[in-house]
Amino acid sequence: MNKLKTNATLFIQPILAVIVGLLVGTIAIMLSGESVAVTYQEMWKGAFGNLYFLTNTLERAIPIILAGLGVAFAFRAGFFNLGAEGQLVMGAVTTAIITVSLPFQGLLNMIISIVAGMLIAGLYSFFAGWMEQRFQINLLISTLLLNYIAVLFAGYLVSEPFRDTSSAGGVPQTVMVDQASRLPKLITGMNLHYGFVIAIILAIVIAFIMKRTTFGYEVKMLGQNVFFAQYGGINRKKTMFISLLISGMLAGLAGSVEVLGMHYRFIEGALSNPQFAWTGLMAALLANSNPVGTTIVAIFLAALDTGSLGVERNTDVPNSISGIIQAVLILFISAKFSFEFLKQRKKEGK
Amino acid sequence: MLLELKGITKKYGDFTANDHIDFSLNKQEIHAIVGENGAGKTTLMRMLYGMEKPTSGEIVIAGKSKTIDNPNDAIALGIGMVHQHFMLFPPFTIAENVVFHHEPRKSWRYDRKKAAEEVSQLAKKFGMNIDPLQIVGDAPVGIQQRVEILKVLYQGADVIILDEPTAVLTPLEVKDLLASLRELVKMGKSIILITHKLNEVMAVSDRVTVLRDGKVTGTLETRETNPEELSRLMVGRELKNNPLPEKVKGKEVLSIKNVSMTDKDSGKSLLENISFQVQQGEIVGIAGVSGNGQSELIQAITGLASVQNGSVTLNGTELTNQSVKQIREAGLAHIPEDRYLWGAAKEASLVDNMMMTDYVKQEFQKSGVLKLKNIRKYVTDSIKKFNVKTTSIDTSAQFLSGGNLQKLIAAREIQKNTPFLLAAEPTRGVDIGAMEFIHEQLIEKRNNGDAVLLISSELSEILALSDRVLVMYEGKIAGEFERNEASEEKLSILMAGGRNE
Amino acid sequence: MESLFDLSLINSTLRMMAPLLLAGLGGAICSRVGVFNVGLDGLMLMGAFLGIAANAYTNNVWLAILIAIIGTTIFSALYGYMMIDLQANMIVTGIAMNFLSIGMTTFALRTIFDVQGAYYNNEMQGLPVWEIPVIDSIPLVGNLLSGQSPIVYLGIVCTILMYIFFKKSVAGSHFDAVGINPTAAKSQGIKVRRIQYLAVLISGILCALAGAQLSLGQVTMFSENMTAGRGFIALVATMLGQSNPIGVFLSSGLFGFTEAISIRLQGLNVPTNFTLMLPYVITILAMFIFKDKNQLSALKNSAGSSR
Repeated sequence: MNKLKTNATLFIQPILAVIVGLLVGTIAIMLSGESVAVTYQEMWKGAFGNLYFLTNTLERAIPIILAGLGVAFAFRAGFFNLGAEGQLVMGAVTTAIITVSLPFQGLLNMIISIVAGMLIAGLYSFFAGWMEQRFQINLLISTLLLNYIAVLFAGYLVSEPFRDTSSAGGVPQTVMVDQASRLPKLITGMNLHYGFVIAIILAIVIAFIMKRTTFGYEVKMLGQNVFFAQYGGINRKKTMFISLLISGMLAGLAGSVEVLGMHYRFIEGALSNPQFAWTGLMAALLANSNPVGTTIVAIFLAALDTGSLGVERNTDVPNSISGIIQAVLILFISAKFSFEFLKQRKKEGK
Repeated sequence: MLLELKGITKKYGDFTANDHIDFSLNKQEIHAIVGENGAGKTTLMRMLYGMEKPTSGEIVIAGKSKTIDNPNDAIALGIGMVHQHFMLFPPFTIAENVVFHHEPRKSWRYDRKKAAEEVSQLAKKFGMNIDPLQIVGDAPVGIQQRVEILKVLYQGADVIILDEPTAVLTPLEVKDLLASLRELVKMGKSIILITHKLNEVMAVSDRVTVLRDGKVTGTLETRETNPEELSRLMVGRELKNNPLPEKVKGKEVLSIKNVSMTDKDSGKSLLENISFQVQQGEIVGIAGVSGNGQSELIQAITGLASVQNGSVTLNGTELTNQSVKQIREAGLAHIPEDRYLWGAAKEASLVDNMMMTDYVKQEFQKSGVLKLKNIRKYVTDSIKKFNVKTTSIDTSAQFLSGGNLQKLIAAREIQKNTPFLLAAEPTRGVDIGAMEFIHEQLIEKRNNGDAVLLISSELSEILALSDRVLVMYEGKIAGEFERNEASEEKLSILMAGGRNE
Repeated sequence: MESLFDLSLINSTLRMMAPLLLAGLGGAICSRVGVFNVGLDGLMLMGAFLGIAANAYTNNVWLAILIAIIGTTIFSALYGYMMIDLQANMIVTGIAMNFLSIGMTTFALRTIFDVQGAYYNNEMQGLPVWEIPVIDSIPLVGNLLSGQSPIVYLGIVCTILMYIFFKKSVAGSHFDAVGINPTAAKSQGIKVRRIQYLAVLISGILCALAGAQLSLGQVTMFSENMTAGRGFIALVATMLGQSNPIGVFLSSGLFGFTEAISIRLQGLNVPTNFTLMLPYVITILAMFIFKDKNQLSALKNSAGSSR
């Protein structure tokens, strides 16, 4: 096959998907009785309208990128890790608790609390992998169920033992993070914080690992064909556990940087309700688990989110329009497999 | 004339699978279709059975032109097909499989009792001995094939197409099958037999049509032809004959002692007390019908499965139940028996497929970072050397033909220059060109003084390449022959579970 | 602890398990024909929403259920088209369908009823409670079984019907054949696509009923994402029940029971979050004990195709 042609088909599909997604969005907007032009204009403004909205979009992309990278890493190794949400929440709540419990503040506090969050999240994902390896408990289902358990467990932690009792009533949340232990903002007055830099660096690092290292090769081969990997002497168990650990740690980091850079505390539901982890999963799916692609798509999906928040503020169209567009995108992209499948069948037909 | 194909052509894009094929079948005739892999035999029959549509041409049945859109149409016209890969439902009983889609029923209910009775009677009528209530998955392959034939008979077929029916059978079962086919013809059926085994054609058919590259190269009366003529028509040229030079005895490379393996779930014995050695400069062939423990032996040697008893030693290093990596480092290269399952990652690029196990070598990586430049050069050179036809080394492996992918795998394993090579079914399903090439490479490796263990269910391959031949039957070594003692007859008897006289 | 375990617990178990049972049966019929239905949750949510929406407009709960069934079945046809005709990866499609369902129902809730979070209307009639005449008069049993919404009884009927279908009918054997070896079924003239579509559509109907039980049976309201992952628990029930209707009945019974218990525990001095966790924990524990090999291999196949 000709390389140019491969690249062309590689791009046509996502572009078509975006067009179809926006078309479906158009129908939804028309159903809600708003002007399509105005709505999409508001969406654009809400996402990229000025420096504030632009940095806001990029901030929202941070947890989506990191969770997406985590999911993508596990996908590459051939594991359907649907537990990013639980891992993200575990990472966030751990970081929020550790940072206020340490007797000192500052950079060291920040590093320790982030690493602790990543570690707990990584172990949470590792646990699901262990159950699959040892007891053949399906990873897809176990990671999914562990999400509910993690969200409820974190909810318990912040509503009972670690609740900020100074503010009576309201949503359960932890005590504020000390000023000195927060992730600094990139631009003063804007929401965007250093988590974005971390996310971009990690995307590049992971792309490098996947493409240029022996470990990346092992992960890739395991994901492509388990039997082939074993035949070639790749240790399935070890590679699986490390990939799931890394996958969970990335999702956990997504939660940790949100706590230290954005909310400055763990607030019940603040990280699970916006569906960061699931949006990250979609980014990974849409980008076919390519790390750089996942990052770009994550920013695009974040823009759809912030854009539709803008839409909701200024029109009668609800923000769930972004959910519809995102789902249609995935449906359309997943049909990509079919085109490849058909091509392949024809080849085999001879 | 019962059935006639006139000028049938089938194209897939630019590729012509069948080119103006003419074919006819008389009543109570066995008409064999022979040809190499990829000659278009199966495609032709799939069109007759309604699973593919011809691009052009005409199908005439009992003097009338017919279109066959799907298998239901074919069945209605009295055409039945026994596929190369059995089309059975393993958890169902024999009776349920035979009556499938033509079930006796009481309104919406399935009358399983009547089904069993009917199948039992049908089997008796055609002299087949089966238990209709047996679960098909538990039945031996020979019986499963009877089920396939019964199914076609139950549907009332007068024309029976058999696609490579003997590929999975023991020589004894083959003999039974051929006798059954004669019986069926006597009872009024007509048979199309697709095969590439010429001795079967000579033994059972009335006429034979030879296909090559999608074209008919001849239709002959069987009694007026001979295997040599058929072979020439099939291949289009004389086959090369690679003589094995005299063996230079070397030291022992692989040594297997009393190896046993049992299935963890069922406790069934898979390998029993296997012992043999392979020396430098020799090819040891292991013959046997597939499923007699060869796969387990391969896995035991290569570290893909663990053994309960015995020892595996390679180059003096004890490697029993060690990891694949350790065994490979001790000097194993391995052409696996199923290239798509074990031998390659279909979606990965040729580079990735080529680098398996080599990626850790000093020349290809430094502290975990791959040296892409060296890798690409190595892959480009290897592909050239082993004559793998591809447009680019970044193409994914699924776009290679079977023969080219097999050459890639052979390139990967042979170039490791290990003292020992395990080659399992190295030419299964590849075209003649690739087969000759791979055979030459194996012989060259042997002549260089390395040890080769060849495991193959293709007797001709074993006989052509092996210095010594072992026969496996039901997880045991049933016999051993030196090259000059081995013959097709002797091996066949042992492969079928007979005694070495 | 007497307030925790008493006979009325069986009654509430039946009520709690009904949606899981119906959706689980939907999952089972799909898995029997080789379709791994990850979209149960989305189908249920669609059914729950359409039930409430139609009820608000028609003021007729029966008509509402009919509309929910029709709408959800159309939705499942789209799902089937993606999986069967476009050969899209089953897991990815299922997840996307769940998202689409959440997006569409939330969107519709806002545009149609102009509310956020939940829609509730005092004048709306939920499903009636049926007192079954004969059973009702039997002492003890009457208390245990009677007084449920019609959908609960329908769930039991569906279990029996599906059991007979697979065990006794010719069509059931064809469904199984498609799941075991689609190539073989096709080569013998079975319309594999049609059977797979049928199974997906039937799962749509069953999930619509499951959703309607949530929004019209247990309560009379719709809230955003109100299935709260029950579709996935139903999927686990399918797997634990080995895709056998009786097995699905028993495993969804286990979860229904846990859910009923967890509601009671809320009255005691246990943190709510832990009682809410119980069904998920039990589900994981249950997976340690029961494993459905067929389902696992179907799952491996579908996961394999994504790589």
